[in-house]
Order: sequence, then structure tokens, then C-alpha cells
Amino acid sequence: MAVISLGRLRRHAADPGVAVAFLAAAAVLGVFVLYPTFRVLSFPAWRDYVQIPSSGRWVQAAQNSLVMMVISTVTATLAGLFFAFAVTRPDVPGRRLFRSLAMLPLFAPPFMVAFAYILMFGRQGLVTRTLLGLNVNIFGWHGLWLVQTVAFFPLAMLIIIGVLESVNPSLEHAARNLGADEWTVVRTVTLALARPGIAGAMLVVAISVLADFGNAVVIAGGYPLLATEAWFRLEGMADLKGAALVVAMLIVPTFILFLLERYVVSRRSYVTVTGRGSRIERPPTHPVLKWAAFGFCALMSVMVVLVYVGVIAGAFTASWGRDWTVTLNHWRIAADRIGTLWTSLEIGILAGLITGAMGVATAFLTSRPIPLRQVPDFLAVLPGALPGVFVGVGYVLAFNTPPLELVCTIWILAIALGFWHLPLGYQAAGATFKQVERSIEEAAMNLGASGMRVLWDVYLPLLGRAFVGAFTVSFIRAVTNVSIAVFLVCPGTLVATFVIINMINNNNWGAAAALTTMLLLITVAAVGIAGAAFRRTVRSMPMA
Amino acid sequence: MKRFVVTILLLGLMVTGLGAVGQAQQAKIVVYSALPDLETGLINKEFTKRTGIQVESLNVAAAGTLAARIQAEKARPRADIFVGGSADIHAPLAVEGLLAAYKSQAAADAKVSPAYIDPSGYWHGWYLGALGIIINTDRWDRDMAPRRVAKPANWDDLLKPEFRGHFIMPSPITTGGGYIFVAAQIFRLGEDRAWQYLRALNGNASQYTPTAPGTITLMARGEGVVAMQWAHEGIGARLAALQPLETIVPPDTAFEIGAVSIIKGGPNADGAKAYVDFLMTRYPQDINAKYGFRYPVRGDVPVPMGATPFDQLKFVKYDRAWAIQNATQIRNRWQQEIRR
Repeated sequence: MAVISLGRLRRHAADPGVAVAFLAAAAVLGVFVLYPTFRVLSFPAWRDYVQIPSSGRWVQAAQNSLVMMVISTVTATLAGLFFAFAVTRPDVPGRRLFRSLAMLPLFAPPFMVAFAYILMFGRQGLVTRTLLGLNVNIFGWHGLWLVQTVAFFPLAMLIIIGVLESVNPSLEHAARNLGADEWTVVRTVTLALARPGIAGAMLVVAISVLADFGNAVVIAGGYPLLATEAWFRLEGMADLKGAALVVAMLIVPTFILFLLERYVVSRRSYVTVTGRGSRIERPPTHPVLKWAAFGFCALMSVMVVLVYVGVIAGAFTASWGRDWTVTLNHWRIAADRIGTLWTSLEIGILAGLITGAMGVATAFLTSRPIPLRQVPDFLAVLPGALPGVFVGVGYVLAFNTPPLELVCTIWILAIALGFWHLPLGYQAAGATFKQVERSIEEAAMNLGASGMRVLWDVYLPLLGRAFVGAFTVSFIRAVTNVSIAVFLVCPGTLVATFVIINMINNNNWGAAAALTTMLLLITVAAVGIAGAAFRRTVRSMPMA
Repeated sequence: MKRFVVTILLLGLMVTGLGAVGQAQQAKIVVYSALPDLETGLINKEFTKRTGIQVESLNVAAAGTLAARIQAEKARPRADIFVGGSADIHAPLAVEGLLAAYKSQAAADAKVSPAYIDPSGYWHGWYLGALGIIINTDRWDRDMAPRRVAKPANWDDLLKPEFRGHFIMPSPITTGGGYIFVAAQIFRLGEDRAWQYLRALNGNASQYTPTAPGTITLMARGEGVVAMQWAHEGIGARLAALQPLETIVPPDTAFEIGAVSIIKGGPNADGAKAYVDFLMTRYPQDINAKYGFRYPVRGDVPVPMGATPFDQLKFVKYDRAWAIQNATQIRNRWQQEIRR
């Protein structure tokens, strides 16, 4: 065994294609992930870091962030798992509808989810007061928990679906034939095989929750968190140094999460895609399980739909909660800013391509037994630990002057957003790679294929789905991003979300809702077109 | 393999090529504005008409964001002008050497009080705003009037137990208005009693909004009954957006000086000076009074609709230089005392 892997190592090291690609990927990650991070972190002096533990407020914020991370990650991942389970079963009623609905929170700018929930569940909430007559305070950790669960479960779902869909039904059949009951099959086969997906999903959700600032800033009320604390420093005191210090505190738990995920996931074998093809029908789901999944999905879907009811109703009514007259005035104001939608679209597509390509390439390279592969591995998940404002400031500091003078171009937004979402693409692609049996690759190699050829012919078709997933999520999040955009937009590169948040800040909720609705429509259309196009390419490839 | 290398090379070329595009051909200035789109747009259009200089403006409601951006762009400033937001936010930028000094002759010609202009010329005040108490009248009639609560007339009235959980104000950490309010309490009550007051007020507070207009947004939706906020924001929300808000300017209030400053090393220094001169003229101050309900610094511009004349307001003795100098320390103390 040792001899074989040594031989493989030598073969890979000798493969010039893989070696060049590895160096290129590492260099790109170094420039666009490490360098901006370094620029921000080196902003404060060392003695500033030493003073952190003496600030009671920051310690409190760190504790709160960890609490939110744990509870929101658990609920969001569980919800994502239930959803993924339900929509990958052919016999759960309404699965297609559920899948589409669950994607919706990703389409809305994060502050929009929080804002819609204030409208729905706040003191003047449509649900809480108008319908139920309650007087509820949604501001605080409980409101944030609800919002983060709804906002982030689609991420978990997408990652877990990718894995569940590739679980070979014949394994479930085999378990059943060996006498296992339904629950045991789900537990020991389906969920066990989905473990890299679940762990990957938890990692992505956890770091998203840690870095989430859009929701926290709208709904957390008097509950200090690290991500908002960093922003407070920046916005209020224009204190880059303080912000950098707080962000440094965020990187510590992320690093721990990263190690955990590596340890848990890489312990077992999850190979299910083998050279031996199988197209067996998936067996029927146990009725209890089926209806439990259905009920849960229905409930979560209602929570999701309420966000959009708020946004769309707001776009057509004169003044929320007071004057329900139907009007098109907001649309007229929004139509003036339609140019910003095209800029958003352009940036989103570029960012999606960057995330997809870098995610797949980095995941391929780090799955090879190459020395120092842990370096790109870490760099590919690091951006998830950085709050958007941090990335924005880092990019301004790093790329404001030659040799790479990108500030005020569309590229700086596309690159910043593409690399910020890299963990999504990387995790999805990585989970897929873990499922591929080495023997396919070895067969290709024995037939004389080079390392790059293996990527092209063996992995690429299998990774089509991971790429589409990464592209889609990155595209949508890029289009809905505010926290990075606020630092990188210039008068010539205004994006829609930037204009929307300005409208909200100027108390122009109706126009903001109208522009968000337009953004939503264009995004859904773009994702639909991209999905259809990709599907055709993937299908025409061999082995897919 | 070839394809891969070619792609990388092409990408590299594209990136470096695009970086060079976008340099200006015609005369233009870049403005970072903390004022709303409406006022900024009208003012910029008129500026272009008068000077022939094009304006590209980036409007962000939070002046702190723009200030941090100017800091981050220090090595290569992208903008010429930073306009809007309290002088409290402009002054620290000058200390860091990010602003250019300039003394506008137009300000002297317009007889603008020297109190509104930085003695070293780093910033020029061109509008004023006073802090007020804002009430959502719909919710007041429903929740407070039946209990025979009297409407708040001064800062101490905000401590009434009936307002517990119904009070909103902009965060002193992230907004100029919130900070000026805290500093005003120190000038009004002295340090010790001010912190006592602020702790008691915190007992009533349901939210400290991260931006100043955020308070108005929540108040308009009835998330709070009583708020502390710029009076002009409350008056504007009632008159322009027909929101159910009533505005009271209590005695011992404080005011902000809305400033404009020139960013040092910006692309068009002469254009920037022309812009500062222009803001001292009547037109922009008229626009700001009419659409933003903010007080002008010129004597010949009418008082904004719905507002009490500026000289009839009762101000606390506010030491602006002290407030600016001690901002970081007071904000840190507020965070420690209030824990929000």
C-alpha cells in the first residue's frame, strides 16, 4: 500500500501539468485571498492585539457570536438536511416546489430577510399584530436565530443535495435486502454517505453565521456580535485598526472549524461513484418519514414565502401597515435605477465563473497527494471567515495602486465576490471528489492519461453538477451582496443592492421593495437560463 | 494544457488592461456624499451647469462608511470631495492628514459665521441640524393617550417608565447624531449624572439603529413610540413622506454642522475648490432646506418648512472641539456602560 502511494506521489510530482496548475492556483489564491487579508491584519500594531482580552465588550461579542454560530448552524443544517432528503426522494409530494421555494432566501439581499421579518413579526407585524393581535419584540438573539436559520438553510441544502443525489440507490437496496429496516437504512447508508456533505454544509453555514452582518445589523438589536462590532468600528469611528482586531478574533474559531471538518470528514471512505454503472430506481420512502419531511418542508416554505410576501406587497402598496392603497409609484422610482441591475448581473456572472472554476480546480488539486496541498486547502475556505466589509477594505488596500490597480473597475467587484464565495464552490466540489473511486482515475492513468487529462475526462463530467451549484450560489450571492459592494462600488459601477440599501436608509421602503423584486426576477431568469445551458453541456459529456 | 496556459495569460492581460481604462478625459470631480440621492443629484446638476465640470457622485447614507473608505484609499485617493455628515466625522480625517486645507472666499462673501468653518480650513460647514424628539402619533394615540401620558417636552421626559421598550435612537457608536446626543448630555448634566441618565435611558431603549435615517424608518412603521433623532429627519418624513410623526425640539438641544471637505491628493483639486465655493452660494443651501429640511448657514435662505427658526432654539453649551477630541474615549465608555 505504502509502495503504491509513494509511486503515485512520484508520478504526480513528475506530472508537469498538475505541478504548473498547482503553482498557478496557489499564486492566484495568494494574490486574491492571502494578500488582501494580510493587508488588513497588518494594519494594527502587535501591541494592539495584546489588548483584546481587556475589552469586556469584545469578549462578550465573541461569546455571543459563538452561541449564535452553534444554534443557527444546528437549526439551519438540520433544516437543510430535511429539505435535501425530501427533495431527493422521488415520492415526497411537492418536492419540486419545495426545492424551488427553498432556494428563494438566497435570492434576497440578507438584510431583506431580516427586514421582511420585522414587517411580518414585529410590533406592527402583519402576522403578529394584524392577524394575531400580539405585541411581539422580534429584535434580539431570538429574531436573529430565526432569520439566520431561514437565510442559511438553503446553503446547507444545496451542498447536501449534491451528495445525496449521488448516493447509489443500489446500496440502499443492498441494506434492505440484508434485512435492515427503513430507519436503519436512512441512518447507516443514506445519512452516513451524506456525511461529507453534512460536515461541509455545517462548516459553510457556521462560517457564514459567524461572518453574517446584514441580518445581525438589522435585527440583533442590543446583542453585540463580532461581525457587527467590526462594522461599528469601521462605520462609526472610521477605525480600521479596531475593525481589523475584531476580524482577527473571527478567524480563530473559523480555523478550528476548518480543522474539525477535515478530521471528521476524512476519516471514512465515502466512495459511491464507481466504474460500474447503476441506474436502479430509488426505493419508496417510509410513509412516516415521507410525511414528516413533507410537513417540515411545508412549514419552512411558509416562512420563506412570507419574506417575499413582505417584499412584493411593499412594492405595490403606498405605505406599509398604514395605507394599503395599491400603487405603481415605487416602480417608477425603481425603473430609473434599472442600469444598476445590469451591472449587478454582469458582476454576478463573472463572480460565479470565478468561484466555480477556482472551486473545482482547487478541490481537484488538494485531492491529489501533492506536498503542501493543505495551503491552498486553507486559503480556499479562509474567505468564508471574513466579513464582507473586511474583504472590501482589504481589496481597496491591496488593489488601489499598481501593479494590480483594480479599484473602480467591474473586475474588483467580480474578483472580490468570486473569491469570497470560494468556500461554497470548493466545499461542493471537494465533497464530490471524495466520492469518486480512485480506480476510475487509475484506470485512466494506466491507459496513459496525464494528470490534466484525468481532470478533463474523468472528473470534469462528474463535477459538472458541483460547478453549476457553485456558480449558481456564488452568482446569486454576488448579485445580492451589500457588505463588500459598499466599499468597492464607484460612481461608474453602482450595483442594485447598493442603491436598494440607500433607499431603505432613506426610508424609501416601497422603491427598495420594487427594485428588489426586479432584481429577484432578473436573478431567477439568469439562473434558469444558466442552469438549462449547463445541463445541456453536462449531459452531452461522456459518463454524465 | 496549452489551453490552460493561454487562458491564464489571457486573464492576466484582461485584468491589467482593464485596470488602465477609466482615466478621465474631460473635466470632472468625484464626490462622496452622505446626503440622500435627491438633494445630491439636484445640487450636482446645478454645479455642472455653472462650472462645466461633470460630477460623479457616490451617495452612502452613512458618513462613517465614506470616511473609512477615504482612509482605505489613502495611498491613491479616488474622490475629490467628501460632503455631508457632521463636522465631527470630517475633523478626524484632517488629523490623519487625509484632507486638504482651503479657505473659501465665497464663505466670507456670504458672511457665513466663522463658527461654522474650521479655523485651519479643513472643513466648511454649509448646513445645520438640531436634535429633536420624534413621536409616532398613531401609536401614541393608541398606547399612550388612553393612559394619560403627557408628551415628552425635554430630555428628562424620555425616562418616563411608560416608554420602556418603546424608545429608539441612532447608535452613538455608528452615527454622528447619536454621539452628539451623548456629548450634549455630558455638557448638560456633567459627566457623572450624564452617565446615570444614559443608563436610565437605556432601560427604555428598544433599539440603537446603526444609521440615523434607520430610526425614522422604524418609527414610521411604529416599531417605537418615542425617538431621539435629527429634527429635520422627522419633519421631512411627515411633510414629504406623510408619515405619522410629530417632532419636538426640546431645550438644551445640540446641533450638527453639516460639512464639506476636500480630499488631499484627489484627482481634481481645482474642481474640488470650485465645489466648496459653490456650496457656499444660495442655490445648494436652498435645495437642502427645501428637500432635506436642514438649516442653511447663509442668512438669506428661508427657514425650512415646519421648522422653528434656528436662533429661537435653546442650545446646551456645546464644546465642539472637546467633543471631537474625546469622541473615541466617550464612545468606548458608552459601550462599557450600556453594553450595546
